[in-house]
Amino acid sequence: MKLLVPKALAIKHSVFEKQVLENFAVSESVRSVLPESGLVRGRIVRCCGDAAISLALSLCARASQQGSWLGVVGVDHLGISCAVEHGIALERVVFVHPPEASRDWSTTVAAAIDGFDLLIVAVPERLSIADARRVQARLVSRRSVMIIVDTAVLSQNSFTSNSHPFHADLLLDTKTKNWSGINNGAGFLQHRQVEIKVSGRRVAREQRHLLTCSH
Amino acid sequence: MRCLDWPAVVAAKTNHSACAVVHSQRVVSRSVQAKKFGVEVGMRRRQAQALCPDIEISSFQPDRDRRAFNTVVRAVGEIVPLIEVSEPGVIVFAARGPSRYFGGDAPMAEKLMRALRASIMADSQFGVGIADGRLAAHISAHISAQTQTPFLVEPEKTKPWLAGQSVRVLSEFAGIDREIISLLERLGLNLLQDVCKLGESVLAGRFGELGVELHRLARGDEQHPLAVVAPPPEQLCSRAFEEPIVDRQTLLNNVQTMADELGRYFAEQGAICVRLILVFVSETGERCERLWYRPHGLTAASIVESAKWQIESWQIKAPISGLQLIADEVRTDTARQLKLWGGATQSDETAAQAVGRLTELLGSNSVQVAKWQGGRDLQDAYQFVSVLHSQVAHSEQITTQAKKLSVQSPPQPKFWRGSLPTPSPSVVFADPPEVQVVDKNQNLLRVSARHELSAEPAYLLKGEARHKIVSWAGPWPVEEKWWDIARSRRLVRLQLVVEKNATPSVGAGGNSVGSAGLVDPAGSVGSAGSVGPVAESSEVRAMLVALEHGQWSIVAIYG
Repeated sequence: MKLLVPKALAIKHSVFEKQVLENFAVSESVRSVLPESGLVRGRIVRCCGDAAISLALSLCARASQQGSWLGVVGVDHLGISCAVEHGIALERVVFVHPPEASRDWSTTVAAAIDGFDLLIVAVPERLSIADARRVQARLVSRRSVMIIVDTAVLSQNSFTSNSHPFHADLLLDTKTKNWSGINNGAGFLQHRQVEIKVSGRRVAREQRHLLTCSH
Repeated sequence: MRCLDWPAVVAAKTNHSACAVVHSQRVVSRSVQAKKFGVEVGMRRRQAQALCPDIEISSFQPDRDRRAFNTVVRAVGEIVPLIEVSEPGVIVFAARGPSRYFGGDAPMAEKLMRALRASIMADSQFGVGIADGRLAAHISAHISAQTQTPFLVEPEKTKPWLAGQSVRVLSEFAGIDREIISLLERLGLNLLQDVCKLGESVLAGRFGELGVELHRLARGDEQHPLAVVAPPPEQLCSRAFEEPIVDRQTLLNNVQTMADELGRYFAEQGAICVRLILVFVSETGERCERLWYRPHGLTAASIVESAKWQIESWQIKAPISGLQLIADEVRTDTARQLKLWGGATQSDETAAQAVGRLTELLGSNSVQVAKWQGGRDLQDAYQFVSVLHSQVAHSEQITTQAKKLSVQSPPQPKFWRGSLPTPSPSVVFADPPEVQVVDKNQNLLRVSARHELSAEPAYLLKGEARHKIVSWAGPWPVEEKWWDIARSRRLVRLQLVVEKNATPSVGAGGNSVGSAGLVDPAGSVGSAGSVGPVAESSEVRAMLVALEHGQWSIVAIYG
């Protein structure tokens, strides 16, 4: 094992020296939301609000279909049928349950970054700033993408955008405006309107998008 | 030595019950009683239940089968020193030495049968078969298992006896694909001697590498020619620990590194190890030796899995002071070697390495993949399986079994009657939090026996917070196993759209009632289409709640 890791490093480094690795493609429904119309490698995207998990899954869907591996770290309650409906290739998804302690968590996520191109993570409460910096540096060097999901549903912690240990490059705040298809006993939930606020240090000014989607 | 239908033997709770082991809706293994009713391997579960309503169905658990088989392995291990266990239910060993010790094949076989009878439960079929060559031995063990007496084939008579066997034995015992065998039958080659007579060059021309292998098997030789390779240097093969190891995971890590190095050594010579002797030496001097064989070559992951099995079955719990991996048989590596994951891309390999590293850090239960298994409940539709189990056991063991059943693996998601409509929720709780759903008079909502709600839902109470319910759909009843009082389930599911912000209290809730009053006449009248938009300030959240045993709980959230 000790001999193998440097080899993988060498391959990944040589690839991006020789050619510019493209951004990850994103399906059309959410492409308008992202400023670069794709997921830029080495960056952190943070999704918060109601539709955070759905948005995270939509962002990963196209890249997963094209062969990238997705690691889901610490998101214990993810609905798998939902992921499959978004189009994620389940044979390339690995679910990891990391420990809560700050140092162990960062070691786990660093190991996951080494192998998976895309990561959906839930950040634990007690993550120290130093460990977060280390993980972020690893992410940049390995050219993977990390999507942090941040909802009050998953955990009881509430990070405000100032106190979050990770400096997200892109912050997507979702609000479900309404659901349609349902009517006092009849029908079933079919479509919803979600307002997404795009902000962050890679975006010139805050933008708002209203998306109608079926999940 | 073979025990027929070992998984069913293990799964049966009492000795004489009919029992079937099911994997992905197909019967993998069935007990003797079930066979009397006509249940066959490869049947669908419903068919088996139609033939025998009292049949016990249990799920496929290779770990359980292995653990149960360890007692048998230990019993046989007392008689024969070096044995090889490829799957639970089958033991293979070289017979020449032991038979000379016991004074002949027949006395040895008798002694083995007695040992087996002592260690296996009564109602199962097992047998001992002795013959020249691996395939012939498997066939004779199978025949012996059906007659319950040892079956011996004279050394000189093995080849002619084998020639008279049907080609189906190739798919059952030598791991050849079932489709190839059916093709052979359609071409008119029903017996192994027909295959032999055809000639190696003709088979090679038609089937390529596989044709050469078929011819070799039909002749009665080993499945692959031995490659002559320089033996690996001592330091790759054995390792002595100054500090004896107690922790199993460290030991398995050592096995993994040694297996990787050995694999790389052989790969450089263009070969792959097919038979390996794994030796553990304990601090007190006891040795545990076991042979491991896989026709398509042993990968590092399968060696680690075998080591795990061997350690579990070894009764001595002393710390381990030495480890040896002795490559017994090596064959030239052709392109058909099974890769770790079947994937050839760079990202697959880096992912596999990362999974290995994560498993090392966290243990195999914390790194999982999802497998579709189907079910009405959201938690049941997909099952989490640890990656190590899924990649080694699944790809190698289940695929060989699947080849016998011609079942596709992995199962693809199919329509499941009674499941929720899409879109599916994105957050599914394994442990649903309890809530209360009340109507506008603060009475708890109930559902009648005809699945009608007692009143319209108005508020959702979670702890201290009160959320107004904007709209709802349902109730959708779920009744499972009504015929089985112990395991029956009755629940009702409801989709709710609630306001995200909790209304403070009943008195101050006048504002929200007023604004809702503005919306209702526009929204609720009319077809069952879309509801009009809610006032700008409030956000809504959709969730799925269920009522079971008089208690409401949030099953999932559409987030």
